Amino acid sequence: MTRYLRLIRIFTGATLSAQLEYRANFFGAVLASLGEVGVALLGIAVLFGQPGTAAVGGWSFHQALLVVGLFMLTEGFISVFVQPNLTKIAEAVRTGSMDFTLLKPIDAQFGVSTRYLNMLRVTDLLIGAGLTVSAASHLPVTPGGVLTAALLYLSALVMVYCIWLALSTTAFWFVKTQNVSELFSGVFGAARFPVTAFPVPVRAFLTFVVPIAFITTVPAQALTGTLSPALAVASPLVAAALFGLTRLFWLKAVASYTSASS
Amino acid sequence: MTAIWRKARVLFSTQFALTTEYRAESIIWMLSGTLSLVMMLVWMAQAAAAPGGQIRGYTPAEFATYFLGTWAVGQLLVVWVAWELDFEVRQGALSPKLLRPLDPMWQHYAGHAAERVVRFPVMLVLVAVFAWLSGASFTRDPRAYLAAFGLVVLGFSARFLWEYSIGLLAFWTESSTSFQEVVWLVYAALGGLFAPLAFYPGWVQTIAVWTPFPYMLGLPAQLLAGKASLADAGRGALVLGAWLLVFWFVRLAVWRVGLRKYGAVGA
Repeated sequence: MTRYLRLIRIFTGATLSAQLEYRANFFGAVLASLGEVGVALLGIAVLFGQPGTAAVGGWSFHQALLVVGLFMLTEGFISVFVQPNLTKIAEAVRTGSMDFTLLKPIDAQFGVSTRYLNMLRVTDLLIGAGLTVSAASHLPVTPGGVLTAALLYLSALVMVYCIWLALSTTAFWFVKTQNVSELFSGVFGAARFPVTAFPVPVRAFLTFVVPIAFITTVPAQALTGTLSPALAVASPLVAAALFGLTRLFWLKAVASYTSASS
Repeated sequence: MTAIWRKARVLFSTQFALTTEYRAESIIWMLSGTLSLVMMLVWMAQAAAAPGGQIRGYTPAEFATYFLGTWAVGQLLVVWVAWELDFEVRQGALSPKLLRPLDPMWQHYAGHAAERVVRFPVMLVLVAVFAWLSGASFTRDPRAYLAAFGLVVLGFSARFLWEYSIGLLAFWTESSTSFQEVVWLVYAALGGLFAPLAFYPGWVQTIAVWTPFPYMLGLPAQLLAGKASLADAGRGALVLGAWLLVFWFVRLAVWRVGLRKYGAVGA
């Protein structure tokens, strides 16, 4: 275990010093973050801007803003930690450089998941955290609520990672899957809004088929104290199940890997 | 004249062959642009829950019609040339293209147009399915479709030129595609991707009518919904045409200045 922690430290150091070489890109990344948060904020601003609209799907403005904050935070988690690593799987399978990862005396899934960071998009995390905190400051929040929300959000991040890993792992069979992750982003866009803002059939789809509801709505509900106990229990269970399944899927994929030349 | 026609035909057919090779990717890209659909669902639920079952005169079905319209129109307006230019300028792939007796812009333009042909049938099927699911209903007036198509062609060309100008900023900076994302936000907001333009505050509408955005996205969608007249389309076409001219010269200027700045990789 300590070996893995030490490796994370080394990986982080290496990727940081590589990125500090390209400091000018930071400006562009800030613009991209602003664009991202602008889309999310405009979406709810227009909805609440209509005369006589006090709630969207039963959520007040600040509650909906909380969801936007968590959305941005998740977006940041994806662009800083998940995307830089997992998008490289398809390339590594295609060129055969996956060989080197598999030969190393560490767990290969750990290797492909932790090697890189995209520090440039840290602004997404900052904006997300800022929005979440400022929205929460307008709401009656209890310490217990914050703790539950933090735990549930952790399960949410595990789910996001698992879905990404599962999608990227398909590269072992289909090779050209770089933009499968675009499909995920497309569905994930729905997480900008509380899931109750959608018509009932869509709500069911976003809860049970793709667990979008668990990513932003459920932690926000925990913060505002409107979470049903069933969902609170379901979230960590879904995360654990997804983690187990993607682990199996990954092992199966690696077992079928035949390198590039064969 | 025949020489130009022959060039156009060759460009289009080679680019068409290229995009059919990547057809699966085209479809994935298509499905990933879901903002209109997400907004559609939220507004539909919002209208269904509102007293009287409508917001500003829009029933859920009318919201469905409008947003499906913006989705379809948005599909035809997609432009990714800024990314291609960013790559070409930084990797030096632009150099061989400069040797041809033809502005490299036309190859990109033909590529985008050819991709529309691949995209269109899939889009029609998806619109039909979504319309059936959401209860959207489009106008039966064929002239509205023609007018919408005309606006889309103008709008696409205008967008292509402004995106091309942004892409050319790659001569000076490595962040040109980030500018693209910010401009996209303005396009999406003023174009009416989040809500019909009438839903915005008055001052935003006053600014929006002077920009090309509402006429390329919201107006065609309203034409398809049967909520805009042909006179509106005519006025929109005039504004778009004027902007097209502006973007044409902006693109030309950025291209001429940028090219002098361009030192190919390895040179």
